[in-house]
Amino acid sequence: MTGSIVRGRIDRAGLLVSADAPLQRLQQRAGAGLGKPLALPHLARLAALAQRLQREINRPLVAADDHGDVHALVRILPDAEGASIEIGDWRTRPMVQPQIPPVTEPAAAAPQAWVWESDLQLRMIALHAGAEAAAVPEDWEGRSLSELFELQPDEDGRFPVLQALARQTRFAGQRVRAGGADGKRAMVLAGEPRFDATGGFTGFRGTALPDAEARPAPAALADPAFGSLPLSDPAFGRRIDGALRGPLARIIATAETISGQFDGPIRADYARYAGDIAHAGRHLLGLVDDLADLQNIERPGFQAARDEIDLGDLARRAVGLLGMKAEEKGIRISAPPADEHMPATGEFRRVLQVLLNLLGNAIRYSPEDSQIWIRLDRQGDRATVTVADQGQGISAEQQAVVFEKFERLGRTDSGGSGLGLYIARRLAHAMEGDLTVDSAPGQGARFTLSLPARD
Amino acid sequence: MCGMVQSSLFSQLASVNPALSACLRETAEYLAAPGATRLSEQQRALALGVARRLIGDAADLLGGAVDSRALWQDWGTQGIPDAERIAALCFARAEEYRWREESAPDGGEAADAPAEPGPEAPMPDALAADDPLAAIDRAYLALRIADRRRFDALGHPRIALDDLDPDLLRALLLDIAAWQLVRTGKDAAEAALLGEAVRAALARHRPERGIDAAARAYHAALEAAGALPDSAAAAIARHDWPALIALAAAAHNYRYDEMALALITAEPAQLAPLLAPLLRDHAALAPLEGALATLRNRAAASAMPDDYAAALQVRATALGDGTS
Repeated sequence: MTGSIVRGRIDRAGLLVSADAPLQRLQQRAGAGLGKPLALPHLARLAALAQRLQREINRPLVAADDHGDVHALVRILPDAEGASIEIGDWRTRPMVQPQIPPVTEPAAAAPQAWVWESDLQLRMIALHAGAEAAAVPEDWEGRSLSELFELQPDEDGRFPVLQALARQTRFAGQRVRAGGADGKRAMVLAGEPRFDATGGFTGFRGTALPDAEARPAPAALADPAFGSLPLSDPAFGRRIDGALRGPLARIIATAETISGQFDGPIRADYARYAGDIAHAGRHLLGLVDDLADLQNIERPGFQAARDEIDLGDLARRAVGLLGMKAEEKGIRISAPPADEHMPATGEFRRVLQVLLNLLGNAIRYSPEDSQIWIRLDRQGDRATVTVADQGQGISAEQQAVVFEKFERLGRTDSGGSGLGLYIARRLAHAMEGDLTVDSAPGQGARFTLSLPARD
Repeated sequence: MCGMVQSSLFSQLASVNPALSACLRETAEYLAAPGATRLSEQQRALALGVARRLIGDAADLLGGAVDSRALWQDWGTQGIPDAERIAALCFARAEEYRWREESAPDGGEAADAPAEPGPEAPMPDALAADDPLAAIDRAYLALRIADRRRFDALGHPRIALDDLDPDLLRALLLDIAAWQLVRTGKDAAEAALLGEAVRAALARHRPERGIDAAARAYHAALEAAGALPDSAAAAIARHDWPALIALAAAAHNYRYDEMALALITAEPAQLAPLLAPLLRDHAALAPLEGALATLRNRAAASAMPDDYAAALQVRATALGDGTS
């Protein structure tokens, strides 16, 4: 906390026993005083929570004052006699933030505006088009706001509507792409929260106006393998790596912190949202890894190192890394026993990467409570490792394309980028080996990595 | 002699001046019952606005065949044909809106955020499709969507056409078509087109999307889950009047707008029997009684005792006859 700290203290019963002048004034304006229960409901609730958990709590605080809202950061330190309150970063904001026009006024009256309303789960309950606005999509009723409006992050990578949802405050400047009767258009959302008589959040009411400053949408990729993106530029991989990896890592770490409720309990749905954000972040980070790999292996002259490796050891390492993920789905992995070895030649970390990809796919696409086998073999001068699952299998047509770039066999889930098997096979080739698939629909799939054997 | 001359001149003036005639009639009614409940300016404006939007929406339903602006200009000046048939609907909608506005947090539907966000705000978790709570959630969402159709883009109250009784909608559309026909010179081809437009509009009428269907579905979902009393009590506590009106209407098999007016005009003693099918604990009624008590100019029966009201009405009629 920075700036001057406003301090106070409550006893075990939650009575405010001492307070610096600003906190005391706020307490008095709320109709109480020293020796009385904390009359600022948000602060009282945080104090009670800290006392119940017997641990320090740091949270944003919002309190109503006569002519505005007080926004601050509060730290509550419980002890045996009660709790100490430290309030910092104390700012008073007017109740109506002038930079956000109330939607019932000019913005809503603008003939180009859509006026929308959502429930507390951001499902659309109203959508009207102004006289000169584009027609609204026909199937908007009950759809999620984020489904109807493709949210775009602001310059800082934030989504104003999601921040507003978490804080139940107004928002403006949320850039979106909205599907209308005549295609996608760039719009800007603003909204105000709605509350019922008990103070419960009931949703947002807001406007969507055409985005006058919209940047043109990124052109569709001409070639699924990146089209015009400068993959041939060796700096490209480094650029995306540097530009994305750091922010993504921070997003994932922060989302994991929120999801894990390390700073204290939060509402279950918020924890779940944070879990979703972390999941999406990990997916994006995986894509960054894949793109960097792709850029690397497609570079002319790419060569893998020729390490002396043991496919048995690498298979057991891969199982060790992904065993927990398999357990979550009740999947048993039958790995080669510790005394089984299969000497081969290849780059240690690249072979591990291939095996992690094969095993990861097998876990992802296997049914719950099924089994995955990893088998070692020697065929002439080739050492092989096979990963077999009990998934739905891959048809002959799919086998022909499964190693193509961005091939996801029609899957639309957030599971992967469609680059993993392409990269794995390129790596196998770079190590003078091969990666093949053998499968039939309903029979599971068997991916076999073969490398030069070593005696 | 002098009185006769004056009376005659008033009559003559009034006979050639409809505005004066109306003013004199209204003055006479007022003087005959100065204490009687009358529409406030706000109530008049709201009811008129609801009527204007209803007629505009109905005209728009006929496609481009009718100029809805010209229609309202005409009817707004000359009077709405058979105004009685929509008067109760418009009044009920206007009064419901006024009630909701006046009892909303911070005094308005478009209220500012309360000073403190409510972390305990109920946010249902994702529910399995066959979960009874999911059925309630879906039904409540549908109710809110049906309710929001009863507002225009600016949040002004209106009557959703899907909420209208089909016979009333037909009558309204036929009146509008007749107005258009007179305006365009009773052309036979035009008449056929308008007739077709009315039939098409009626074919598109979908009462199953209306507030009454949504109310019944919400009531049924709560009843199936045994959650009626708690949900009704919670609706009262939250001032979620649409949910309460919907549940009460479905419980009594009334229309939503009828139940809205029944609640708004009810005496405190009438609320308990009215909501008996919903509530276990009458203590839950307190916020409802409070919200109704603070609604100004409410047409509750106690606003005018029955016998006194009847006497005033007789006197007003007698005096009105003498001046018009």
